[in-house]
Amino acid sequence: MTKRRSVGIVVLVAMAGAWELVSRIYTGEAAPGEPMVPGWEVVFTRTLRSLSDYWGGGLGVVAVSEGGKRTYEGALLAIGANSLDTIARLFAGLGLGGVGGTLLGLAVSWSRWTRFLVQLPGHVVRTFPLLAMIPLFQLWFGISFVGMMLFVAYGAGVIFFVGTINAVKNVPPIFIDYARVLGASRLRLYRTVILPAIFPELRSTILLSLGLGWTLVLGAEYLGAQTGLGQIIVYSEQFAYVDRMFLVALVFVLYASLSYALFDRLSRRLVQWVPRGGP
Amino acid sequence: MIRIENVTRTFRRAGGGTVHALVDVSVEISEGEFVCIVGPSGHGKTTLLQLVAGLLPPTSGKIVVDGVPVTGPGPDRGVVFQRDSVFPWMRVIDNVEYGLRCRGVPKERRRAISRSYLEAVGLDGLERSWPRELSGGMLKRVAVATVFATGAKVLLLDEPFGPLDYVTRHQLHDVLLNLWQATETERARTILFVTHDVDEALTLSDRILVVKQGRLVDDMRSTLPRPRTTDSLVVPEALRHKHVLLSHLGLEAPGPSGAVATGAGA
Repeated sequence: MTKRRSVGIVVLVAMAGAWELVSRIYTGEAAPGEPMVPGWEVVFTRTLRSLSDYWGGGLGVVAVSEGGKRTYEGALLAIGANSLDTIARLFAGLGLGGVGGTLLGLAVSWSRWTRFLVQLPGHVVRTFPLLAMIPLFQLWFGISFVGMMLFVAYGAGVIFFVGTINAVKNVPPIFIDYARVLGASRLRLYRTVILPAIFPELRSTILLSLGLGWTLVLGAEYLGAQTGLGQIIVYSEQFAYVDRMFLVALVFVLYASLSYALFDRLSRRLVQWVPRGGP
Repeated sequence: MIRIENVTRTFRRAGGGTVHALVDVSVEISEGEFVCIVGPSGHGKTTLLQLVAGLLPPTSGKIVVDGVPVTGPGPDRGVVFQRDSVFPWMRVIDNVEYGLRCRGVPKERRRAISRSYLEAVGLDGLERSWPRELSGGMLKRVAVATVFATGAKVLLLDEPFGPLDYVTRHQLHDVLLNLWQATETERARTILFVTHDVDEALTLSDRILVVKQGRLVDDMRSTLPRPRTTDSLVVPEALRHKHVLLSHLGLEAPGPSGAVATGAGA
């Protein structure tokens, strides 16, 4: 295990080295003074400091637009503040989409009527092209927290909907019969049998939606959000600041990895019952 | 008391056509009886049990338990399935308490009842274990404890000990008989036990029903004294029953001693 992990780390370091090498060999510029492939030194000094442009001032650090200097403190504050906005949109959306999608997915198996009500519309709605929906959400909800949250919720909800339906189908019928003969009501059956039985399978759905969620929230912010990491990328693109876009992308990589690891830790307790070699 | 009246159950085959799993079965089982249902596999034993459990509706006819027609699973009946049904996501004690929880029994009482049954099946000390840590025989003990803990008066067991080894199976026979004979409650429990094992049926039951090709073809009463030992199965009465059963299963031609007493539709 540790050996395999160290192999992975070696590959990562090699990729970073290759990037550095390319940055030395290929010195083309996106705009005067803006390298197309920024080397690591540039990224972690000049580029990092330049992110203090996105700090609106306060906490003893003067905004660059008001004559302040570009500092590391300003940059970290800028990253932190914008990250908070992005993360709030992400988790509000994931929470709403996760709960909504799961409930709708459960409704498909709950009773004949809920199935008629939910199944076909659900499958139609999930086939709408996600990225093409961004402008629609913007028109409907404006550039608001609610609009961005709903967009993430929609994208994640679709995954949860399909994931839940499939997971419920895979629950061995014997557990359902057993609960019924022991006297469980339908609500209790769903709460104490269906939900725990589908959770191991739903875990991969949750991981999938976490990965997609970071992409979705970025997509939502492209459309003119005033804050957020996605907005920094859009702004940087207009000025051909390749290095800033690259740095923000790295921040995303960091967050996505952290969120995977965190979820893995938090959910491990919930699947400790799963037999070894199980799902 | 269980009354099965002219029950027929058909299934539609996937490729078209129908299968008659049970044809016009009628039988009455009195309170406190230990009844084994014997027959070749695929001849309707399990279907009969599922009908009494309320997991399947009959195509025609009806089943009445204690004067109430069966329309679905109910708290008066408990089932131990052939395959492992113990919930793997609950610890042993939570599994045993599940039926009591469904009945709204308060926590303290629930714990006490479950503990006493865990002890009765020989699993005290394993309350906090996960099912994945238990052997097949222990899982059966959990299932038996769970179904007895609910207090159901009619227990339906569908080849529960089939996949177990010889020793484990015999230990579980003792566990089951002890629980059945325990008279801490005011009313005796009625047991319907499906098996394909002739010796198991002779060891356990007061009465043996033979189901063949969906029909009740024999209804035998056993008066062998309890507790039964290996020697109980070699007395003339037991041997006579055994020969009859084996001939029903197609393992022996009906011999002179095997004059089949057809009591179907008692």
